Amino acid sequence: MIKTEGLAKAYKDVQALNGLSFTADDGQITGLLGPNGAGKTTCLRSIYGLIKADAGYAEVDQVNAAENPLEVRRRIGIFPDKFGLQERLTAREHVAYFAALHGLQGQALKAAVDRVIADLDMQEIADRRTAGFSQGQRMKVALAQAIVHQPQNLILDEPSRGLDVMSTRILRQLLYRLREQGRCILFSSHVMQEVAALCDHVVIMVAGQVKAEGSPQALCERTGKASFEDAFVTLIGTEEGIML
Amino acid sequence: MSSVFLTIWRKEMIDAVRDRRSLMAAMSYALFGPLLMAVAFLVLIKDVVSERDVRVHIDGAEYAPALVEFLESRRILAGNDEHPAQDIWLTIPEDYQSRLERARPIPIIVRSDYSERNLQSQRSRLESALREYNQTIAMHRLTLRGISGEVIQPLRVERQDTATKGSRAALVLGMVMVFVLMSVFFSGMNVAIDTSAGERERNALEFLLAQPVATHILVAAKMTAAATFAILGGVLALLLIPAVFLFVPLEKLGIDFAFSPMDQLVIALTLIPLALFASILQLFVSFRAKSFKEAQTYISLVMFAPMAAVFALEFSRFEHPVLQLLPVTSQHHVLFSTIAGQPIAFIPVLIGGLVTLLLTGLLVWVVTRMLRSEKVVFGL
Repeated sequence: MIKTEGLAKAYKDVQALNGLSFTADDGQITGLLGPNGAGKTTCLRSIYGLIKADAGYAEVDQVNAAENPLEVRRRIGIFPDKFGLQERLTAREHVAYFAALHGLQGQALKAAVDRVIADLDMQEIADRRTAGFSQGQRMKVALAQAIVHQPQNLILDEPSRGLDVMSTRILRQLLYRLREQGRCILFSSHVMQEVAALCDHVVIMVAGQVKAEGSPQALCERTGKASFEDAFVTLIGTEEGIML
Repeated sequence: MSSVFLTIWRKEMIDAVRDRRSLMAAMSYALFGPLLMAVAFLVLIKDVVSERDVRVHIDGAEYAPALVEFLESRRILAGNDEHPAQDIWLTIPEDYQSRLERARPIPIIVRSDYSERNLQSQRSRLESALREYNQTIAMHRLTLRGISGEVIQPLRVERQDTATKGSRAALVLGMVMVFVLMSVFFSGMNVAIDTSAGERERNALEFLLAQPVATHILVAAKMTAAATFAILGGVLALLLIPAVFLFVPLEKLGIDFAFSPMDQLVIALTLIPLALFASILQLFVSFRAKSFKEAQTYISLVMFAPMAAVFALEFSRFEHPVLQLLPVTSQHHVLFSTIAGQPIAFIPVLIGGLVTLLLTGLLVWVVTRMLRSEKVVFGL
């Protein structure tokens, strides 16, 4: 479970987060939807403790992110905003490295790596160096390194950007599978179709604040609009920075 | 905790070994220094040991065949087409023989541009040969008149060189040791850049920092990986020096070069703190850079300082007790004493090493703080 309460963060002249509060529950896919520059990445970074909020706090499984970042990071898997691969390592070494950083060792580590490679259907590329991988293959490695330690919570920052159809399907299937296992999934996006299709719970944020939240249907009902798209535009009051 | 350290170190090592650029950079500095010195010495020895022929213009050689023959025995020859004469003219007068027979002074002219420094040594060789010939004739004349030649030699100057073979070696080989220090600084440089600025350039830094790893362990492991390369470069240079100098006849310069495995071991050990210090310094600089190229620019500026210090010490022979305690200069001191054949004073060596490690620790702390700062990490 991931929770933020009154998160605020200002950069020089920009108020990136302005009292952001929401909860992402276990067994649900929660989408953080907002236009570009709404503060999505800043919010996720403060959850894994790379950014210190000016006010408020973020919690993962009731552990405070600012006070105990290492414990929080043990409980989450991260698919970051920009992911770069270690191009001189093979996909398997790559995943094993991050598994080891999460404290897995010996047989347990090997089993975890084998399992995630099988889960993501990446046996064919497992022993190739990641330099020259296609976007889809790179994404599989990034997903594998995020979930190899079987985290209870998974955070994805704009996971579907630049993905082809096949890769999007891989991602979607993975997220559904993790939801069935009762894990908490939080992802940010500015692509509405994706959020509408995938999420059980949507948090719409604009200018660092929550504008509305609920299931896609609930949001449609609340605004009296037939489509989620119209509901969304009504809620944020602008069409700027949104991809339909 | 330590297993995470080892994991990161091992990964960085694999990464670096697979990176041709890092590997080549590490090895080339270690190879380059000793080889360069060997070539320099070979040239130097040739220059010093084999006296080259001096070619001059001789006017009136036919009037004084004995003098010309004597000059030839001192390898001072008249120029010809194959070996053109230098701009030094020796003029022997027509009445040389008759003046010699009458024991009258014979005007011999040595004409040359005396402000021309290049010809300095040739001129003085010619003049000293003439002086020697002068002396020989004078001796003969005195002996003929029943007077011992010693009466015109009130002073006899004898040179006694107090330089030991070791100290002379130190003078020359100090330069070689500078190359050992340099290879420590340069061998790990590429790894240090790749593991910091390179990581950022690949967009891998944020993800790495979001792992459940204490930042200081991350920094220490990356530093140790770069330092491993640095120390390997230094050790390679150390091993190469005796190997290379096997082929250089240093004894012709009167240099006794003994570099025992024990010396090498002691030097290698003193280089370990230096390697760590150099690596964390490089990390400190390149974690601030946005790209590999930018880091290279900054680092070459920063690396200039310790190198300048070593070269300055090497040439000025400046000594001060504090220098034995500071990083770089303390290690330089140890290296220098070893080749000068002086016994190693272990207390200053230990203190120098400890001070270096202390500064290294301080820099680890600074870099750790840097990586916790969102400003540095995200460039906000």
